[in-house]
Amino acid sequence: MGSNSSSMNNIPNAEQLVQETGFSAAHILRLYERFQFLDKDDTGQLRPEDFGAVRELAMNPIGDRIISAFFSPGQETLDFASFVRVLAHFRPADSNRTRDGAQPEPANSSMRKLKFAFQLYDQDRDGKISRAELLQVLRAMLGMQVTEEQLQSIAERAIQEADFDQDDAISFDEFRKSLEKVNIDHKMSIRFLS
Amino acid sequence: MPSRAGFHNPAKSLPERGLLLLMVLLFLEVSVRPLGVACSQDTNHHHQDQHSGNATFVKKAFPVLSLDYNHIKAPFEVSLWVLLASLMKLGFHLVPRLSGIVPESCLLITVGLLVGGLIKLAGEEVPPVLDSRLFFLCLLPPIILDAGYFLPIRPFMENLGTILMFAVVGTLWNAFFIGGLLYAVCQIQPANPSILHQLELLPCLLFGSIVSAVDPVAVLAVFEEIHINELLHILVFGESLLNDAVTVVLYHLFEEYSGVGTVTVMDGFLGIISFLVVACGGVLVGALYGILAAFTSRFTSHTRVIEPLFVFVYSYMAYLSAEMFHLSGIMALIACGAVMRPYVEANISHKSHTTIKYFLKMWSSVSETLIFIFLGVATVDGKHAWNWTFVTVTVVLCLVARVMGVVGLTFVINKFRIVKLTTKDQFIVAYGGLRGAIAFSLGFLLDERHFPMRGMFLTAIITVIFFTVFVQGMTIKPLVELLAVKKKQEAKRSINEEIHTQFLDHLLTGIEDICGHYGHHHWKDKLNRFNKKYVKKCLIAGERSKEPQLIAFYHKMEMKQAIELVESGGGIKLPSALPSTVSMQNIQPKKPPPPKPVERALPQLPKGREEEIRKILRSNLQRTRQRLRSYNRHTLVADPYEDGLGDLLIKKQKMIELEKKIKDMNNYLTVPAAASDSPTMRRARLASGSDTDFKPAQQQKGNTICPDPQAYNMKPQSDSVPTIQVDLASPQSPDSVNLMDEFRKAKQQEDDEQGLMMKPPSGPNKPGEAGEPREQKLIRCLSDPGPSADEEEDEPFLP
Repeated sequence: MGSNSSSMNNIPNAEQLVQETGFSAAHILRLYERFQFLDKDDTGQLRPEDFGAVRELAMNPIGDRIISAFFSPGQETLDFASFVRVLAHFRPADSNRTRDGAQPEPANSSMRKLKFAFQLYDQDRDGKISRAELLQVLRAMLGMQVTEEQLQSIAERAIQEADFDQDDAISFDEFRKSLEKVNIDHKMSIRFLS
Repeated sequence: MPSRAGFHNPAKSLPERGLLLLMVLLFLEVSVRPLGVACSQDTNHHHQDQHSGNATFVKKAFPVLSLDYNHIKAPFEVSLWVLLASLMKLGFHLVPRLSGIVPESCLLITVGLLVGGLIKLAGEEVPPVLDSRLFFLCLLPPIILDAGYFLPIRPFMENLGTILMFAVVGTLWNAFFIGGLLYAVCQIQPANPSILHQLELLPCLLFGSIVSAVDPVAVLAVFEEIHINELLHILVFGESLLNDAVTVVLYHLFEEYSGVGTVTVMDGFLGIISFLVVACGGVLVGALYGILAAFTSRFTSHTRVIEPLFVFVYSYMAYLSAEMFHLSGIMALIACGAVMRPYVEANISHKSHTTIKYFLKMWSSVSETLIFIFLGVATVDGKHAWNWTFVTVTVVLCLVARVMGVVGLTFVINKFRIVKLTTKDQFIVAYGGLRGAIAFSLGFLLDERHFPMRGMFLTAIITVIFFTVFVQGMTIKPLVELLAVKKKQEAKRSINEEIHTQFLDHLLTGIEDICGHYGHHHWKDKLNRFNKKYVKKCLIAGERSKEPQLIAFYHKMEMKQAIELVESGGGIKLPSALPSTVSMQNIQPKKPPPPKPVERALPQLPKGREEEIRKILRSNLQRTRQRLRSYNRHTLVADPYEDGLGDLLIKKQKMIELEKKIKDMNNYLTVPAAASDSPTMRRARLASGSDTDFKPAQQQKGNTICPDPQAYNMKPQSDSVPTIQVDLASPQSPDSVNLMDEFRKAKQQEDDEQGLMMKPPSGPNKPGEAGEPREQKLIRCLSDPGPSADEEEDEPFLP
């Protein structure tokens, strides 16, 4: 794995990334190797098709959503810095970091994690999960095993339960509220990235 | 458990209790005393008869009434003990303040001491109640099975590493530390030789290993009452379960070699291998029996009555098989229960669910009570050899070892955990390391010839047990309050939480795959897929194998709500043949403005209709996969009323929708019917073919309806009359009739005209006192408690 000339010097803006995302140098290196593995034609940029190399992603019901989440709207390619920035959301939270007001909110805070998940639901980026969007997700997750009517009922009930301002959609605050019992730091962290 | 203090005057109950207790003790006396006499008399009789042979029998007066105690001695005594235990349990809850301060285990041990003392006072020999065979083969399995069947799998698996560390490394550390230091202490003071000097190293280590294991029974008994958060509960409890393997190996190792006097490195190495064999072997045996049980339950659709039996028998056999090979029986039992549960739950009927749940809770409750009482009795009995040094040093060392072990291990573990353990957590884990009856029984098993210090060991073990149960058990509750440890959250999982949690699972799996990291989520996902693809097909009958978890969860919630609607409102209006004057005018638009409670006047439902509704709801209950909750033994039935405004609104919505749907003559309930049936429903249909219960209602309307029980949908016969085909899945219970009557009677008093006033609970909280006695009756009237408010564990084997 380390036979490539992977060292920190090859990685563009390595120190800045370390600073920004909180990853250690070793992690950045590891992620860079992975990036190179995915980048088959060695252009230094990833395209959505490159993610197809990850086989398990095809079996994932929301695989394509995850892939598209890496790319900002309108962008076709993904460079290493953006790759790392997205993955920074999944770093376990630092318990001992004291937050002073001047620092921007770190990428791996609970709020940012939730925001990331919310954006996966909210494809049209209007700040709300509409009924149709929820139905899409349910359809993707449940697939062929349920009838359309059942899906409608579930979506209906979900919106009823969460929607406090009665606008027939779930806003980010309502989303956050319905997940208040879940330990987001624990649930949305990948250990090796600590 | 609804407090019954409100019904009894406490002052009056104490003399009653005293009288009852006295009666019970008298029985004990009577039972023990004539034992010797009756025994000899009977044998004499038998000899006489045999010797007479062909000679004429000695003529004596025909015995009109005779006492033959020996005939029934053993079962009678067992029943007496069980009765005593249950009466004690009743008694404690009649005195509410007491059970709040002192944990039940302490009270039970005290009772045991009293009973033992009384028996000794009467001059009789105390029966050797805590016989090791009885304990390990009869008293312990129900408790462990109960724990294993209701084990919350997800937190257990998430913290498995931590739990194993505490169980294995922690117990080893405890054993060696206590054993070693005890030996050192015993060897000091060479100038003053005491009996302590005879103590070798290996017996000390053996003693250390016996006394170091955290006991699941004691932990369960105490922790159930303090309601701490899930993480701590599963840590301590999981540790107490998994350290059985370590204890078994250490015990046998030291016992074997105590005679010889030395343990070589080879033996130590074999010990490690033995540990792996014991642990993994136990789990394998348990899993095997679990799969067998799941497979058997696939075919039980025609003999529902014996379904619970399979669960119990397979589990017990798993335990016995493991014990046969000297593997860890506890781990086998846990594995069996945990493996079989998701598949068995999908296969068996609702009533069997309830039966299993209740039987397990009942047996484990009685077992636990008996164990503590016997501990008390066994303390009174038995040759004690009190040695101040030994005992006090043991107690001190136990505490110190525990604290050091926990702190040290946490330091290491926190490096690998995402959610670190705080100091408060560590304190609770250390403080919750209670010893119990397993330690005593293991000590009891020791052979007197090999271990001349057995008496002293037993005394020390009992002292440690008493200390941990009494001191630590009593003070842990106020300490938890003092330290403001996070308590157990009332987990009412909403559908949103379920959807989003699954979504996040997929998301994390995807991210892990992108990173190329084979982590926790990756393997969980793989296991899930394997389960869905192969295992479920084999072990779950019929169509249920394809039902995704989210759908089952959703159905269950709908069912819950429908039941509550019926229970709170007494019924739903059904359009009848005559145009009704009242109902439809009051229907609110689809989105009611929050949060006004809705008052609707509904025409009175004929009795038959309400029963039909109940039956429909019950039958639909069986369709859904009932997930069992890990109930607290003290609160088996929860309040069916849910607080929360959101639920109120949803209920209103559901009511309106229900009406609309009935009007459209579609599916009766909002739960859409799946295209195919579960075997339960099929059987129900076949069974209800000739049922006459719904005929009167139909005849009321004077329609000629072809009674086709096959149809689940309503068929429009005449123009606007819906016919409700009732699928009976359970025989009509007379209780439900009473229920409706009660409701109607209660409501009629408030109503003026046609009304069955559908008064929903006013305000977000539970309605006032008028509702309470009705609820209590409700709770008892239902032949089985329907799915109730809160939900602790609602995931299958693979969450």
